[in-house]
Amino acid sequence: MGNTLKISIQPEWDQLESVRVQAHTFLEDNGLMANLIHSLVMVVSELMENSIKYGNFSSPDNRVEVSLGFYKNSVTVEVSNPVNEDSMSDLEELDRMIQWIRGYQNPFEAYIERLKEISKKPLHDKASGLGIVRIAYEGGVTLDFFVSEEGLLTVSAIRKV
Amino acid sequence: MTSEEYTTSAVLVKGKTEFPVSVRYSTRYSLLVRFENDSFSDNDTKFDNLIVIISGESIPLGPCQLIHQKEVDDNIGYLISSEDIVDFGDLIFKHRKSILQSGFVNLPFILEQKEKIKQEFKDYTADLTYCLSVYRHLFDGMDEDYRDEPEDVKKSIQQAIIAKEGADFIRYFETRLQELERLVKGYTQVEHEQHGFYFRRQVWSFILASALLRRTNLKPRGYSGDSEMMRMIYKNEELGDSTFSKLMHKHPIEHPAAEAVRNRRKLIAETLAQQRKSDHIPADEQLKVLSVACGPAFELNNLLKSKADCERYEFTLFDQDPLALDEAVQLVAQIEKQLDATIKVEYVQASVRTMMTTRRLIKKLGNFDFIYSMGLFDYLTPPVAAAVFRNLYQLLQPGGELIIGNFHVSSTSRVYMEYWNDWVLYYRLEEDLLELVKGLSPAEQSVVFEDTRSQMFLSVRKPIT
Repeated sequence: MGNTLKISIQPEWDQLESVRVQAHTFLEDNGLMANLIHSLVMVVSELMENSIKYGNFSSPDNRVEVSLGFYKNSVTVEVSNPVNEDSMSDLEELDRMIQWIRGYQNPFEAYIERLKEISKKPLHDKASGLGIVRIAYEGGVTLDFFVSEEGLLTVSAIRKV
Repeated sequence: MTSEEYTTSAVLVKGKTEFPVSVRYSTRYSLLVRFENDSFSDNDTKFDNLIVIISGESIPLGPCQLIHQKEVDDNIGYLISSEDIVDFGDLIFKHRKSILQSGFVNLPFILEQKEKIKQEFKDYTADLTYCLSVYRHLFDGMDEDYRDEPEDVKKSIQQAIIAKEGADFIRYFETRLQELERLVKGYTQVEHEQHGFYFRRQVWSFILASALLRRTNLKPRGYSGDSEMMRMIYKNEELGDSTFSKLMHKHPIEHPAAEAVRNRRKLIAETLAQQRKSDHIPADEQLKVLSVACGPAFELNNLLKSKADCERYEFTLFDQDPLALDEAVQLVAQIEKQLDATIKVEYVQASVRTMMTTRRLIKKLGNFDFIYSMGLFDYLTPPVAAAVFRNLYQLLQPGGELIIGNFHVSSTSRVYMEYWNDWVLYYRLEEDLLELVKGLSPAEQSVVFEDTRSQMFLSVRKPIT
């Protein structure tokens, strides 16, 4: 991995803005165009929000780890947090969703399919699943994830530049 | 609960009058309705609102129309929505309100996509769709002319057409494909995505004509490269109910990427057979083999040719898709029957992305002499590919070998797969594959290609000590 930024934060909402600013500065220093910086900062922000919302932070040592790195002609954003066995069904759903999004050449197609799907209103509220599709489409990134044997979930987003 | 059993109460509203009724699921877009008394007249066929009660909750569904079934009963009829067409199947069995016309919510977004398309690409697509329509019209016309002939005569005529005019069409199609490759060369990733989307909207009827293209585009199991697509590629048959459909199926199935898939099946069987003869495995021990993202495991057909072959291996077949594993189970049973043999197989249904539980699962089965994954790494991004590769390497016995396949960036089918098949892979260079080995210190490592040079294979062997 070439030039890299690594940030470790407590899983608290008020940490978000600081990470956004650091990510923005890092991408700007590496010469990216403003619209690309905007998209990637949105990706960092959304992935961190998911991480704080769904991570398992049962120990005070548990943190959210964020990294941004340039490799060849792409930028990779990675956000990690601990998960436990209770998250397995959510992770399976994330797996299905990411494979489904990446099944389309154009994430726009996944986005409009999802919009169509959520227009079918559940009689009782359920998660729309639009968030992750939006990250792929508006961020222009290829999403993937991996859960280590130790239970660390790392979601990665790659954007060609 | 079956559709026949489901009955609930509802209210039909007309002006200020309310008619209490009971409704039963009839079809996806109609409800069987029974009026509770004779309070309505024959003129009451249009209602302002239908309110269905589900789990104590009143769900207004908007205006609807009644079709009387007087021949059955005076108080019975069918209700059909007359504005927003409600999917009663979704409503009753999935408890969600779906409207048939919901796709129209996206209409403005979809229409505006054409503004992003280069004029030369629009010209190419318009010309292509005209020419394909002409070909289809001619092939369909010929099919129609000999439609009433006996089956064997029809088959013979069709084969003659496929051999001559079909071959001409395939050459024409190939030329237009090369033209497409030249046209989009140099496009950015975003431009590829935008132009691919536009292209598929234009050639959609031709995509649907081809069994393979239809499946790769519709992705009924929610992901690309499912076991049914693999089966089509392995079988390499003429599929379709018309000459044109057969040609549109056969063309992608004979392209280098599909040929590479067939080649890798032979290659892995040959490599496994040779592996058995290696020095480090005692002759009386079974070779422990793990196939990751195994799909239907068709390569076992190439590998297991005798009862003795079956006794030499102990397989673990791993896939995320239960349907693919079911197919593997059937294939193993079929080989066992053919060879009157028993094959030792464990089946593991899990995802490589969630190794937290998966690796624990596999660990129970011990380490492996040979691990292979032919069609998985094409779908993994670099960070995930590196993590999965490391995990698989750790599952090797000392002296064991790990082989993974990945399509090369120079694959000549790439544009075809992305634009026509809507099938996107993570293409790699040799150096990208070797990058996965960093930090592992294997005893041997190599990258080889199959005959079409579309796909490459990274092989690493773990040191014996």
